[in-house]
Amino acid sequence: MQVESEAMQNVQVVRLKGRFDAFEVPAFTDWVERHVKPSHAQVVVNLEGVEFIDSSGLAALVKGLKRCREYNGNFVLCYIQQPVLIILELTRLDKAFTFYEDETSALEALSA
Amino acid sequence: MMRIAFVTTYPPGKGTLNEYGFHFANHLRQKDEVSELYLLVDELPRGTTYPADEPAEDGRAALFYRPCWRFGSWRNAWRIQQAVANIKPDIVLFNLQFATFSERRVAAALGLLAPWLSRQNGTLSAVLLHNIMEKVDLHQAGFGGSALLESVTRLAGNFFTRMLLRADMVAVTIPRYVEILSEKYKADHVVLAPHGAFETIPQPSFNLPPGPLQIMTFGKFGTYKRVELLIQAYERLLQRVSHPLELVIAGSDSPNARGYLARVQAQYAHVEGIRYTGYVPEEDVPTLFQAAAVVVLPYTSTTGSSGVLHQAGSYGKAVVLPHLGDFTDLVLEEGYTGQFYMPDDPLSLADAIEKLLLDPGFREDCGRRNYLAAVGLPMSDVVDWYLLHFERLLNRSLAPDEVYQQAMVFK
Repeated sequence: MQVESEAMQNVQVVRLKGRFDAFEVPAFTDWVERHVKPSHAQVVVNLEGVEFIDSSGLAALVKGLKRCREYNGNFVLCYIQQPVLIILELTRLDKAFTFYEDETSALEALSA
Repeated sequence: MMRIAFVTTYPPGKGTLNEYGFHFANHLRQKDEVSELYLLVDELPRGTTYPADEPAEDGRAALFYRPCWRFGSWRNAWRIQQAVANIKPDIVLFNLQFATFSERRVAAALGLLAPWLSRQNGTLSAVLLHNIMEKVDLHQAGFGGSALLESVTRLAGNFFTRMLLRADMVAVTIPRYVEILSEKYKADHVVLAPHGAFETIPQPSFNLPPGPLQIMTFGKFGTYKRVELLIQAYERLLQRVSHPLELVIAGSDSPNARGYLARVQAQYAHVEGIRYTGYVPEEDVPTLFQAAAVVVLPYTSTTGSSGVLHQAGSYGKAVVLPHLGDFTDLVLEEGYTGQFYMPDDPLSLADAIEKLLLDPGFREDCGRRNYLAAVGLPMSDVVDWYLLHFERLLNRSLAPDEVYQQAMVFK
């Protein structure tokens, strides 16, 4: 899985591409470890390139959410693809995360 | 910070799901979100006691043992509800399967009213349901009988499933179970929560101790876990495999099948090299798994995800599993691998075991993959999911409109 990120208006956008499963989780958790700090806890996760996520991938997102909350920040998702949405709905974690249609609306919400 | 009550079986209690309850509680205690954990456990036989309560320390929540129900009693729901009312937790979580409270139909069913009673009493209630009536083989589960009796049991099961669904949240471990409960009962508060690996352990050694190659099975036997087929397969392997072998049957009778293992032991007394360990204390479990060359799951029906499979994966073990529809799907979806056998064919089981016994490289590869699958989602992460749901429920309990909307779903 590719993990690319950039800082935009005090918000960190991380774009994921590929399968998000147990073998790919370390790449994402490493990114969270290195980039999410008390002063940088506003995160948008762009899932446009993710067509498959398993429970390990979901758990990695939950850890990211918890870490941002710990620092009084936000951790939101955008560009959710249908297969990912199905898993989020099955686990009802769709109720725990905030979704946005695209990066622009997510950035606007976090910058407000 | 949450005060949580957890209704479960728990060691040294020997009821089904006691190990799951132990590990779940252990992880729950370690979460920052939890301040107090009350274990509402079953009363132990005379002469056995639970450990002393533990204060909060080293980042772990305070732990309190409250024995308040008895396996087989008709009064469990009422007594649990009373205990919950006394403790006044923020939320009560029930660790359940259909036979948690009794091996007899009426007492088992009445116990399942506990989540509803607790909610009626004003406490948020969540249920972790390890199996659902629609997928339980009544005969295998010890609730068999005539066709009429089974039909009545199923009807009653539907009713009590509806009562369980009166909880604020119901978690199941298999995606298909979410679909069934959502479609059949129109429930919109059923969540998928994976089983999770009991322990996060360092990468295991893939070397085996000297001596015979051990074929090991672990569990509570006599209902849907049965060892006859395994012993028959083992007899064939003794003739085929030149390396010394040992069959280790580790665990005790299911509470619903008392005397089962003694009967099996008598029936197969002529077969050499079988070791019956009896109940395995928690501290002896690692040695048991580490010594096994192959772990066999001799299940005859599907009852949800398998704790033994997750344990075997945690110890990097190759597994042999029955080819059962939902179960096979679940195993593969969770990233495990193994040798599958036809559930009623000892020859098929012998072939599956033999393939792993005779090819150490393949066996180790299977073990490594199972290890990765097992550590992929530690129970600690699963507990985080529950806490997120609990937070949502606690926040929602302040929003009467949403509570009303959910109540309407069941009208």
